[in-house]
Amino acid sequence: MTMFSQNPLMNGPNYSFSQTPTMASGANKEHSFYPYTDNGGSTLAISGNDFMIMAGDTRSTSGYNINTRYSPKVFKIGGTTSSQDDATLVLSVVGFAADGHALKEKLDAIVKMYRYQHGKPMSVKACAQRLSTILYGKRFFPYYVTAILGGLDEDGKGAVYSYDPVGSYEREQCRAAGAAASLIMPFLDNQVNFKNQYIPGSGEGHALVERAKDPLPLVVVEALVKDAFDSAVERHIEVGDGLSMMLITKNGIEEKFLPLKKD
Amino acid sequence: MFISRSEYDRGINTFSPEGRLFQVEYSLEAIKLGSTAIGVATGGGVVLGVEKRVTSTLLETSSVEKIVEIDRHIGCAMSGLQADARSMVEHARVESQNHSFNFNEPLRVESCTQAICDLALRFGEGADGEESIMSRPFGVALLIAGYDEDGPQLYHAEPSGTFYRYDAKAIGSGSEGAQAELQNEFHKSLTIEEAETLVLKTLKQVMEEKLDSKNVQLASVTREKGFRIYTDEEMAKVVERLPAN
Repeated sequence: MTMFSQNPLMNGPNYSFSQTPTMASGANKEHSFYPYTDNGGSTLAISGNDFMIMAGDTRSTSGYNINTRYSPKVFKIGGTTSSQDDATLVLSVVGFAADGHALKEKLDAIVKMYRYQHGKPMSVKACAQRLSTILYGKRFFPYYVTAILGGLDEDGKGAVYSYDPVGSYEREQCRAAGAAASLIMPFLDNQVNFKNQYIPGSGEGHALVERAKDPLPLVVVEALVKDAFDSAVERHIEVGDGLSMMLITKNGIEEKFLPLKKD
Repeated sequence: MFISRSEYDRGINTFSPEGRLFQVEYSLEAIKLGSTAIGVATGGGVVLGVEKRVTSTLLETSSVEKIVEIDRHIGCAMSGLQADARSMVEHARVESQNHSFNFNEPLRVESCTQAICDLALRFGEGADGEESIMSRPFGVALLIAGYDEDGPQLYHAEPSGTFYRYDAKAIGSGSEGAQAELQNEFHKSLTIEEAETLVLKTLKQVMEEKLDSKNVQLASVTREKGFRIYTDEEMAKVVERLPAN
């Protein structure tokens, strides 16, 4: 095993470097380089009638190590100032942090250039398509990330677009991504899209009436996000430390930070 | 022979001591030799009209193409060297398709015009980084008509790489007379039908040949139908509407 060998544990926590002895005595040395690392963490986005929330924990891991307790995964995109305080789009990236950072920088530059070239801010719909072409452009050496793009659409409704690493995308009501996606997504299916919720006593078996899909208010969604991360922190070692949240409304983007358990 | 211009018009990218680029100025002259093209923008859409110079009775008039489509929502009319317009239109088409591929939205008319003008000064030796593709400036001017989120728009693009937006504009050999006529006749509340008539009426005044439905061509860009070149039947109807003399 050499410095940049394949992850020692398949489907387990990932190491950025090998922790096993570098060479068995007398054996031939096999060199290899693995360009990706999984830095853990989780992200989550939920859209409402006139808002959307993007959230992600701030822990960065390599295997059982914590690199830092504060490395945000949620970014404002395409603002005109250095603080990005007038941005209208948000991007979250989870997976390999270096690729996520590179992707964010690239998209941000493209959205800024678009404003100069076309004299208008980029819509979420346009940005969603562009992000897809960026990702597919590296089809054979992908950005190792799960991206989620958020903003308000042309009608002022919350918009969430979720991606796979090579650019397949879809507009959804909500999406969880990253290490704890498998823990959070079923919770959202039930609490946001009211899956498996029926009106008590409305019938037997298939005759049961589904609970009506009323749009959720911002306070409820914010509480859901906090609950989702608090639960994920309990059950997943790569999630924790802090929660970085962005609330997008017609008034702009409000940033919130909440501490999560550091164990 | 070279008294005032004293050979400064030979170098493609050389300023004269008076600060002029003669080759670019000469290219503007090439347009004045071209057939007349007119564009009129109204609230409901833009109308483009060109004269086709039918130099022979044996000429198949449908093969004279002076109005072309760039995208479903943008079209253009040309005056000057037709062949030069081909590469500009090709560039605009690629630019427009790239934009909708990348952004899932139609390209704005102004952005399309800017893309065409970006080509205009890529002649001569070329600066580093950007490869030059032409040995001389374009010899053609375009009237670019389109419809986007800001409504119907008409742009005029010159070989010098500058462009302006117009309510109504004439280019080509009869442009001076035609522009004066447009100046008098244009008003903001024109309908598409009135614009069609205005374009043909103006062309009629500046054309050497007698105007008929074969030696002129009309096209329009509207929100509903996008860019459309008029069929022979539609042309005949508009020509019929024209007041006698």
